[in-house]
Amino acid sequence: MNPPSTPQPYLAQGTAAPVGAEPGKGRAVESEDEALVRRMAAGDDQALGALYDRWQSVVHGVVARMLRQADDVEDVVEETFWQAWRQASRFDRTRGAVQTWLLTIARSRALDRVRALRRRREEPLEGDDGQIVVQQAAEGDPGLDAEISERRRLVVAALSGLPAEQREALELGYFGGLSQSEIAERTRQPLGTVKTRMRLALQKLRSQLQVLGNEGEGSG
Amino acid sequence: MSDGMTHEQAREALEALALDALDASERGAVMAHVASCAICQSELAALENTAGELALAAAPIPMSPAQRDRIRARLMARTSADRVSRDPLAAAVPLRVESGSAASDAGVRELRPYMKVRRTFGPAAWMAMAASLVAIVGVGAFLKARGERDAARASLAAVQAASGTQLAALDSLRTTLKAREQMIASLIGPQVAVMTLTSTMPTAPTARMFWDQQHDTWTFVGHHVPMPKAGRTYQMWLVTPTSKISAGTFMPSQNGEVMMQATHAMPKDSLAAVAVTDEPMGGSPQPTTAPMMVAAK
Repeated sequence: MNPPSTPQPYLAQGTAAPVGAEPGKGRAVESEDEALVRRMAAGDDQALGALYDRWQSVVHGVVARMLRQADDVEDVVEETFWQAWRQASRFDRTRGAVQTWLLTIARSRALDRVRALRRRREEPLEGDDGQIVVQQAAEGDPGLDAEISERRRLVVAALSGLPAEQREALELGYFGGLSQSEIAERTRQPLGTVKTRMRLALQKLRSQLQVLGNEGEGSG
Repeated sequence: MSDGMTHEQAREALEALALDALDASERGAVMAHVASCAICQSELAALENTAGELALAAAPIPMSPAQRDRIRARLMARTSADRVSRDPLAAAVPLRVESGSAASDAGVRELRPYMKVRRTFGPAAWMAMAASLVAIVGVGAFLKARGERDAARASLAAVQAASGTQLAALDSLRTTLKAREQMIASLIGPQVAVMTLTSTMPTAPTARMFWDQQHDTWTFVGHHVPMPKAGRTYQMWLVTPTSKISAGTFMPSQNGEVMMQATHAMPKDSLAAVAVTDEPMGGSPQPTTAPMMVAAK
């Protein structure tokens, strides 16, 4: 087992992408995660182990939020890192940060499982009552890399600034894997309303993250 | 929405596309526009980056040390095998699992390579039942078999040193050892495809199929498989684009364990899925029930 990564201040030494930063901009220096993915692409499984150690609790949190069965969660966590290993050579740092890439894989794999289960069992989704899944970032998120914890704090802060109905549309779409029509049906809102809420929500989130990221960069 | 989507119409749908929340009827038209619009491509990339940040909103949940190490060990085993499959010359060199992993608990340190094969095709109805299109090493089953083989090998050495009166026991152990070696080969050979079967039942049995393509051997390992109802049995099916071929019937042990082997030659590209159905005792010529477990290849 690799030792945990040394906690780093957010954006310390300009090595990480600011939350909400436009892909490929302002990141001349390779981040720690990017270095790990580059080594993975070269066949270094110790780099995969290090990436796993850094991100396993976050990936587990995302997947566990989307799936009920512990066995499913474990499988999807494993498949997430396995896919990252297999596709490391295709990672393009100009298109986004490693964490976005990795968590997108996690969400996609979890959604595959969610949708397959739903097709088989006609099972309602967790959180289908509009349950708000965003939780306030615990102070420092014990056990979490400091840089990741800071990123999480910014995302939670940005989400908290959204109107509840917009946040709900985002959460049902992102974590619940619902289409806009399904969200409209679930929330008993007109489809056009759901579309507007989702569009505004992601635009505001993007804007908020850029603002908060810049503030963090300025203070860091 | 028609295929003739304007830039403005497509632009308004990019947020939903980035969240993978577009309805299927709309998705194709938006994607078609994005494919030919550099502005939308750039905007979509930025929105996908933002959408990706949403994952951080879920509270991190540390795994238990056992679970964390178990997944880590499986990943390391798979990467080792993956490296070897990329470099066949390394196949002769035993690979090692990291210390501190679940594998070390079983006293097993070495892994031999296997070749992972993944393809995505097949009959839509059966493919739709598969939760994942993955091929992975069944570390638990492999380690168990490996441990048994090592035990048999140690016993063989002891017997060889004993008197001639133990030759019968020696022969028996040789037979056991050979059977174990063959089984291990069918699990980890260089041309073994591994498919994870996903249960459609609430009790979530798990199973893996090891297809030794070199020797046409199919090894099915299942856990937590419930006993079928009286007069019923389970039947394994090898599904091709044009047929469903019975690979035999099986019953789980009292504790839900299954280990079954079958031999059936099949071209590598013909298999679409493997599936298990509940059938009348003795099996059926064709499946008569929906699969209770299925894996797409």
